[in-house]
Order: sequence, then C-alpha cells, then structure tokens
Amino acid sequence: MAHYQGNSDIIMDEQMPIFGGYAGGIEETTIVDIATHINAFVMSNASWHLDGPVHIRWGSTNTRETLQIAGWACATISEFTDIISGNQYYPCAGPCTEMCLLEASAQSMTDTASGREILSGVAAAKGVVQDKTTGMEARMMGEVARATSGMDIAEVNGIIDNLVKLYEKDYAKAPEGKTFQECYDVATVTPTDEYVKVYDGARRKLEELGLVF
Amino acid sequence: MTFSRSMDCFEFYERAKKGTKMSQDDWDLMTIPMKSMELKQKYNLDFKNEFIPTDKDMMENLFKAGFEMLLDCGIFCTDTSRVVKYTEDEIWDALNNVQKGFTLGTGRDAVNVKKRSVGDKRKPIVQGGPTGSPISENMFMPVHMSYALEKEVDTIVNGVMMTVRGKPPIPKSPYEILAAKTETRLIKNAAAMAGRPGMGI
Repeated sequence: MAHYQGNSDIIMDEQMPIFGGYAGGIEETTIVDIATHINAFVMSNASWHLDGPVHIRWGSTNTRETLQIAGWACATISEFTDIISGNQYYPCAGPCTEMCLLEASAQSMTDTASGREILSGVAAAKGVVQDKTTGMEARMMGEVARATSGMDIAEVNGIIDNLVKLYEKDYAKAPEGKTFQECYDVATVTPTDEYVKVYDGARRKLEELGLVF
Repeated sequence: MTFSRSMDCFEFYERAKKGTKMSQDDWDLMTIPMKSMELKQKYNLDFKNEFIPTDKDMMENLFKAGFEMLLDCGIFCTDTSRVVKYTEDEIWDALNNVQKGFTLGTGRDAVNVKKRSVGDKRKPIVQGGPTGSPISENMFMPVHMSYALEKEVDTIVNGVMMTVRGKPPIPKSPYEILAAKTETRLIKNAAAMAGRPGMGI
C-alpha cells in the first residue's frame, strides 16, 4: 500500500462479503458491505472499491440474495458518497451455457441500475475450473449493461425477479459448460457456431423478459 | 474531536500495533454478528423483495448503519490480533475527499471512470477477463485476447496462470514473481494483438 501510494498508482481495494457468513442475513451482510466500502477509502486511500457479495452455499454472486446485497449496497453508496465501486461476477454455470449467460445478465442489470461504475468478469463456473472463461460472457455483461442503462428502476426490479426465477432452481445441477478450447477456434480466437447459437438463445430470453437491446 | 492528520496506511500500521487485543474468534463470532444484528434492528432495515432500492429513507438508514458499523467496530488486523479504530471525523475526512474519477489505459484505448448514479443513462465500464480464474499457460494469451477483441470490453481483469515454464507459481518461490510478470506481459501482448495496445489491464 505504501508503495502504491508513493507511486501515485490507482489503488483498487477488494472485499467480498459472504451471505450466510459471520454477519448472517441479507440486511446484516449489506451493513458490513457498506462498512467495508467506506473502510477502503479510510484505510487504503483507495481509488475504487471492488465488491462481490457471494453466497456461502453456492459460491456464486448471481443468487437472489447476493444480488439484493449488491444492489442495495451500491445504490446506497452511490446516493450518499462519491465512492467509485465495481462488482465481480461468479456464475454457477460454465461457458457456452444459457444459464451462465442469464446469471451474468441478472448481475449486470443489478449493477448497472444501482449505479455501479465498473463491472468485472465473468469468472464462469464459479471461477474455479481451469480454462472455463471466455470473452463471450463479458460481451453479454456489456450488452446487458448498455440495454439496462437509464431504465426505470421498478421495471429493472421486475425483470431481474423473473430472470433469477429461470435459473435459481438449478444451482445444485448447474451445467459445467465447456473450456475455452472447446468454445473457440483458438487459432483465430473466434467463438464456435455452437456458442453463438447459445448466446442468441439467451439474448432472446432476455428480450422476452422485457430487455430491449 | 478534530484529527491531527488524515488517516493513511502508516497511521493504520501504528494503530494495528497498539489497538485493543482480540481473538479472531471473538471478532468473527461475536463482534460482527452481534453488531450487524443490532444495527439491522436499530434502523429497521428490511429490503423486502427489491434488488435495487426505491425507498430513499431506507437507503439513508442503511448508510447510517454501515457507517456506524465501521465506527463502532473498527477493523480487525489479523497479523497483530488488534482492533484498529477510527474517529467519526477521520471517516468523514476520507469520504469527503475520495477520488471522483480516473483514467485506465493509454491513448485511444484509455477509458475514463466517472461517478455514476442510480438509474444512470451512461453504461458502466466493462472490465472483461477471467477475474482470478485458473488459466493454463498455453491458453493464457488467447483467453485474454478473446476479451480484448470484444468491443463491449473496456479494460482487462486477469486470470491466474497455473504454470510458468511448466512449473507451478508456488508462493514465495522465484516462479511466483516470474508468473506475475509473465501474466502482465502476455495480457499486454494479447491486447496489442487485438489492436488495442493501450488497454488498461
């Protein structure tokens, strides 16, 4: 920290509050999330804070509970401070699956509408399996953010509610998805036709829920 | 009471040597759960089913609860098993003087990170990448290039290279340093090969 400060570097201070951890429930964990946002700027003289509320059972940031924590924490921080805040993405499902793209979309909508400045991801398959992330998940995160920007908050809440219902019953049997090598032509760094079709399917589902790309 | 000078990592270090002693179990199992539960009740916090809040009064109560959590509990330093406390003025001093924006990257690939608000019409910055996921050595560059090739992506967040020259980057070994430097070099190359050499990483 002393080095970064002495070097005039941009400092990112990260913390991932655990829903179901020591603080306990949704509101309690969000209180801790607010406290740690503020602490980043007191203790570390941070330029921005990287958040990431995560579910203790599923290891995911895309559950109903963790999205609520992220949304409430960010909106509150946005409303009452000038803090710049980011959030990171850990869906249960792996790349080249509709579930993974829908999970990332729910969080992108939550983050964008609640005033988040930086969306960081996507660590598909909970970020723990080798080579199971690709640029396509980040494309979805970005496209959904663009579509959500400026939307009415009540409408966003309604769409997220319906969107989460599409996948929240499947955490225990989330599809593993494919590795980067299976999702892309590695030589040309181009996604396979199969992944493009999966992506189109997820996009259509989002449109059916009311998102306008 | 006004403070003698703004809080920084040096003052934090001093307080981490002198603060109240506490076991990590007491902090984890007593201080945090008891205080967060107390504050939820004190401020009547109930998010109902909303993902993004629409009740400004409830948001204000949440902010007060979070501020009070930090003020009353402080921060537990696991290295010294001591609690670092701040004064209310020190916390406000930090909050009143946060950096309101910064630039990531250089040249035409640079992006300006600026404060957004709830329901903002501007798209947030998209930091694309594996976000700490494990990536094999031979796939490291193409995986990161797949993000740099996406126009929706503004900056890169890295994955973790599982081997370097075929060896695992074991902490405190020379391979750890080699892996960290190699990661940065390969991501910079990946961004350059995608035609975006100035991308922030």
